[in-house]
Amino acid sequence: MAVYKRNYGRFQGATTPTWSRFLVLPRYAFKDVFQGRLFVAFFTLCFAVPFVGLILIYLHHNIAALKFMNLPLAELKNALPINSKFFLAGLEWQGGLAFLLTLFVGPALIAPDLRNNGLALYLSRPFSRTEYVLGKMSVLMILLSLITWIPGLLLFFFQSYLEGFGWLRENAGIAFGLFVGSWAWILVLALVSLAVSAWVKWKPVARVALIVVFYVFIGFAAAMNGALNTWWAWMLSIWVAIQNVWASLFGVEMDPDIAVPVWSAWVTLVACCLFCLWLLSRRIRAYEVVR
Amino acid sequence: MIAPMTAQNAAPEGRVVFENVSKFYGDVLGVNRVNLSIPPGITGLVGPNGSGKTTLMNLMTGLIRPSRGRVSVFGIGPDDPEALFRLIGYATQFDSFPPGLTGFQFVESYLRVHGFSAKEAEAKTWKSLERVGLVEAAGRKVAGYSKGMRQRVRLAQALSHEPSVLVLDEPLNGLDPMARAEVIALFRELADGGLHVIVSSHILHEVDLISDQVVLINGGYIVAEGEITDVRDEMEEQHPAQVLVRCDQPSLLASRVFEQDHVVEARLVEDGKGLLVRTRDADRFHLVLNEIILDSGLAVESVEPADADVHAVYQYLIGSGEKS
Repeated sequence: MAVYKRNYGRFQGATTPTWSRFLVLPRYAFKDVFQGRLFVAFFTLCFAVPFVGLILIYLHHNIAALKFMNLPLAELKNALPINSKFFLAGLEWQGGLAFLLTLFVGPALIAPDLRNNGLALYLSRPFSRTEYVLGKMSVLMILLSLITWIPGLLLFFFQSYLEGFGWLRENAGIAFGLFVGSWAWILVLALVSLAVSAWVKWKPVARVALIVVFYVFIGFAAAMNGALNTWWAWMLSIWVAIQNVWASLFGVEMDPDIAVPVWSAWVTLVACCLFCLWLLSRRIRAYEVVR
Repeated sequence: MIAPMTAQNAAPEGRVVFENVSKFYGDVLGVNRVNLSIPPGITGLVGPNGSGKTTLMNLMTGLIRPSRGRVSVFGIGPDDPEALFRLIGYATQFDSFPPGLTGFQFVESYLRVHGFSAKEAEAKTWKSLERVGLVEAAGRKVAGYSKGMRQRVRLAQALSHEPSVLVLDEPLNGLDPMARAEVIALFRELADGGLHVIVSSHILHEVDLISDQVVLINGGYIVAEGEITDVRDEMEEQHPAQVLVRCDQPSLLASRVFEQDHVVEARLVEDGKGLLVRTRDADRFHLVLNEIILDSGLAVESVEPADADVHAVYQYLIGSGEKS
């Protein structure tokens, strides 16, 4: 019988909870992303509009300040009411910036791991494919949250604080719209950019692909609608879908040229997310089969 | 020695076990009907490109599931990844590093993915970097490492969580002779400590040098397994063993050994100071050789097997036409 001397000790201690391990991925991704000065400058600029919104809300409630600036009070108050349209406009602007930020960060998330056969490094550990995708998604989810619903809700609560509890109760739908509308956009952006990153290895091409997916399809859909005299083709446009979802969440009338039933807008977004998950499941594997 | 898996010797405790394992990628065969039970020590995995070595490694590390059969490490299958991945350390053959990370961060980040706390991960990172001699370069970016350093940092990350089974795909590639010797010494130290070190390599003489046992694979099938001397012994009928005897009177020795029915060939070596003998029964040949030396007073300088190494076995079983 063979006798094996055993003097090599294996770790027997406790480990961190499984659910928290995906957060290791954004930690290093942030380090990488914030090394670029251009990105830091852009990310800082993303807070300009919320800051302007903050000033507007403050001025709206401080007649004395407006008086001091010799501005026509009544006209200004009426010209810029703090209501659902005000917050929707902010969300639309920040949504556009969120797309640009995704162009910066998204294409570099998965492609390098696939290019270098690096997935085995993650997946040969107690770390599933789902956790890997969640970890990579969380990079975008955290960054995009910081420029969309978080400043939006802060402004909402600031307005509520100045206007009173009654206003908050009457306009709770705005907070809901900010939160749900932002997350719908964040999820779509994150999943589409990860799917593109998983299938397109070259960053500039991935960026062009993202622009095509989000914006060039609008023209294609418009042409199809015109040719077929229908609205169905708008379901191909993620941008039109999110505009309709936001408008419905904020109770604002949609531009009739691109108005579609809200259910169809949600169908577009959900279908897009499911398609991206399918693309990711096809690509995120520890090994590559060479046929 | 590696034991082919049978119902009688199935002993999953402390072994990496393949039970009738097949893996197909669509129509493409990865490995077929593999039965293995790998004990502690250094196991060399040898085969030509595309023979199924990496598939075998991916199967034992749980990265792919078998199409048929069962793979277990110490009785734990891939359905329990938390337990399985605690046991296994894997360094793939790919030069893959997340951009921008230093050697320290590379090892530490995957320890965090493994579930170690920040403090524990740091301590283990330093320990494993020290093991592979990379402490001084720990703060430098991996992108600036030489190929040998990158091999060593990959080895460090595979070792860092103190696994029981270390699976290393081509770990000696790119190492200079000094680093190679150090890494081989490290493998030996780990194996002597009871660790399973499973190494694939194209460098046959190094596999021969470091392995306690070998697995030869070709076209997805295991063609031989076990200690190399045992494998060689089993091949004596088809491939007679070669023994090189260096002595002062090789011609005399040749005439005497030809009297034996198990000797199929005796050839003088080029310098005229030795005889290469091919025999179907090496044990009997050694006994006869003793008698000849005593009878004739031959002055023998050395007696050594000429083809009892991995290279020879590889040539016999897989063929010189294959790229090794």
